[in-house]
Order: sequence, then C-alpha cells, then structure tokens
Amino acid sequence: MRGRVLTLARIDNANSDRAIHSACMKKIAVEQCRTSFGRLFEYFAPRLKNYLKRMGADDAGAEEAVQDVMLTVWRKAGQFDESQASVSTWIFRIARNRQIDLFRKAARPELSPDEPMLHPPEEEAPDETLNRAQIERNVRQQLQTLPAEQLDLLKAAFYDGLSHTEIAEAFDLPLGTVKSRIRLAFNKLRGRLGGD
Amino acid sequence: MSRQLSGREPSYVSELYSAYSAGQLSPAFALMIETQSALRADIRADLYVSDAIAGAMLEEEAPALMSPNAFDKALRAIDTLGESEDRRVRAAARAGSELQELLGLPEPLRERALEACEAGGWRRMTGRVRRLDLGSRPDVHAHLYRIEPGASVPRHSHHGDELTLVLSGGFSDASGNYGPGDIARQTPDDTHKPVADNDGPCLVLAVSEGGLKFTGVLGLLQRLTRR
Repeated sequence: MRGRVLTLARIDNANSDRAIHSACMKKIAVEQCRTSFGRLFEYFAPRLKNYLKRMGADDAGAEEAVQDVMLTVWRKAGQFDESQASVSTWIFRIARNRQIDLFRKAARPELSPDEPMLHPPEEEAPDETLNRAQIERNVRQQLQTLPAEQLDLLKAAFYDGLSHTEIAEAFDLPLGTVKSRIRLAFNKLRGRLGGD
Repeated sequence: MSRQLSGREPSYVSELYSAYSAGQLSPAFALMIETQSALRADIRADLYVSDAIAGAMLEEEAPALMSPNAFDKALRAIDTLGESEDRRVRAAARAGSELQELLGLPEPLRERALEACEAGGWRRMTGRVRRLDLGSRPDVHAHLYRIEPGASVPRHSHHGDELTLVLSGGFSDASGNYGPGDIARQTPDDTHKPVADNDGPCLVLAVSEGGLKFTGVLGLLQRLTRR
C-alpha cells in the first residue's frame, strides 16, 4: 500500500486528464456546458467521496458534501484560472473551504508561544519569482522523486490533516523524526535543497 | 529543479499550515492564516505548495462508488439554483467575449468585476467604448473601461479627481502616454479625451470622486436624462 504513489505510466494519463479538466472548466464558465460538468463530476465526485469517507464522513454525508462541492464548482467556474492552479488543486480548495465552514470543533493544533507564525520575519521574503503555476509544476515534479517515507508523512499532514503527534503515533516514529522528515520533504517541494 | 536560497530560512512548515491545507483548521485560525499569507509572500508561497500537494493527492485518491442517481441530482440542483445562486454563471455569460479579459484581472478586482457583471454588465458608451460599473458608493465611483484600439472616450471633465490605472493596452491624452501599471491623474479642471493605442483593446480602472461630467453632446444627453 505504502510506497511510491505515482508511477510513470500514470503521470502521462494524469497530464492529459489535467488538460481535459481545464478545458471543461472553461466550457462551463463560458457556455454552461453540462457535458463538461459531467466529465468533471465523473472524475472528481468519486474521489472526493472517498476522501471524505476516509476523513470520517458516513456514506450519505460524504455524498451530500460532494454534491455541495460540485455545485460550487459549477457556480464558480468563472473564477477558475488555469494559469494559477490545476483543476484538482482548485476543487480541493473548494472542498477545504467547505470543511472549514462546517468545522465546529476546537482548532486541533494548540497555538504555542514558539509558533513560528507569531514571529515576524527577520528579513525580506525571498523573491516571488516562482509564480503559482511554477510552484505547482515543481511540486508535482518533486513528488515523483520523494522517498516513500517522506511522501507518506507529507500526505498524512497536508492531505489527511493529521497533527504531527497523530502522525508519530500512526507511523510509530519519534515526533522529532516526523517533524524533520516533513520539513525536509517540504523544502524539496519548495524548490530548495536540503533541510536546515 | 533545485534552488539554493541564501539567507535564513524565511518560513516554517508547521502543523497549522498543513492543518489549514487539509481543511482541519477552525474558521478563526483559517482566517488568521489567510490574513498572514496576504501579508507575507513567503507564507503565501508555502500555502501554494501545500495546495498543490493536496491537489496532486486528490488525483491519486481511489474513486468511491457514487449512488446511481448522483449526477442527475447534481443537474437538478443546477436547475433549481435560485436567482442569487446562479449569479456567477450568469455573470460569466454576461461578461461574454470579455470574460477572459476579466479573468485575467488581479484579485480583488476580478471579484468586483464579476460581481458587477451580475449586477448590470457592460454598458455601451459609444460604439467602441464600454463601461462596467463596479458598484458606486455615494462619493466614490469605480468603473472599468474597455476601449477598442484607436477609439477615444468622449471628452469629459470631472467633479473631483479621477485616477486611471491601465490594466492592459495603453492610451494617450494631452498629458502623455500611459501603459499597463501606469496611473493617470486628472483634476476637476482637466478636460481630457483619452485615445486608446492601436495595438489592442485598452482596459482601465477609473476611480473618481463625484463621477464623470460630460462636456460634449453626450454630456448634454447625460444631464438631460438625469432629470
């Protein structure tokens, strides 16, 4: 199950899927094309449903959430910009925003005083020469080469939304190892060498 | 691609960001992250990375079986979208051939422009000049103008100052030539007649206090129709 998620044969398919999905978004925005919407629904609805079920939703709840997300895709198609993101990234963001809206529990991570976001940057941010599309291309490229041990942790944190402590328990790793592996992996995806 | 950036590590991978990306953060924290990312380019870039991870993972997700009537249900939901619910799609339709131009606008202007399309859409000023009202407050008026290559906006003066930001293309008036990113300023005393450059449509954002006061024939009509 674990191990490299993406294989070379699937990359080509994924690339052509992405181009088709992008074209579908445009047709929905410009001419409210239901056939295009159907194609997106066919691809994304079952994947979103599986994701939501893994996140703890029951079958009916997941299906209802998928309907919500896909309706938003239809309504907001005009906002999609292929130079900014892939359709999957855009749709995931819609699903995420819906989830945030519905989220009624207390925030999971405790905000500790040494939380980095509470501290102002000591120097100017790096040049923003990597635009969003470049960032996404780079991420997808780097995901191919990431060792499985890092990829799994990245997925657990950024996709499945587990806290570092939860990940440490699930993978039976020391917390420090979890943090350093995620940091190492994330730095690669940022387009930067190594860790600290 | 690998790049070695000099200097200290500008930002961090923390659980807050990954939790945000995965939709596991409460609304207040999410708002905080979003605000921070608006203020800090390094955080913004990291959130783009996080989003891209999640997007790529979604493609790898195993498909679950949807109920057999799921897509019909989605189509019915589209059919029963209320007036307000359907605004975005209608806006896109009304934006018409200019949709791509509007989609190319930077946020938050794009959002305002699409909203304006919902509210009323483009109004024709002359055969080759169109205007989109971005929702006027009592004393501050904001409009998008779309001027065909070589066309001119009717001569006009202003009640108050008018600032014009060129979004694409370019125009000239008595005070000079303006290109994308340039801001032209007119005072109430100026009467100007901007002419779009010949190399493509000119899209500008004009913000004025008190709105435009036309001095030509159109101006007369405008004054008459106001009564």
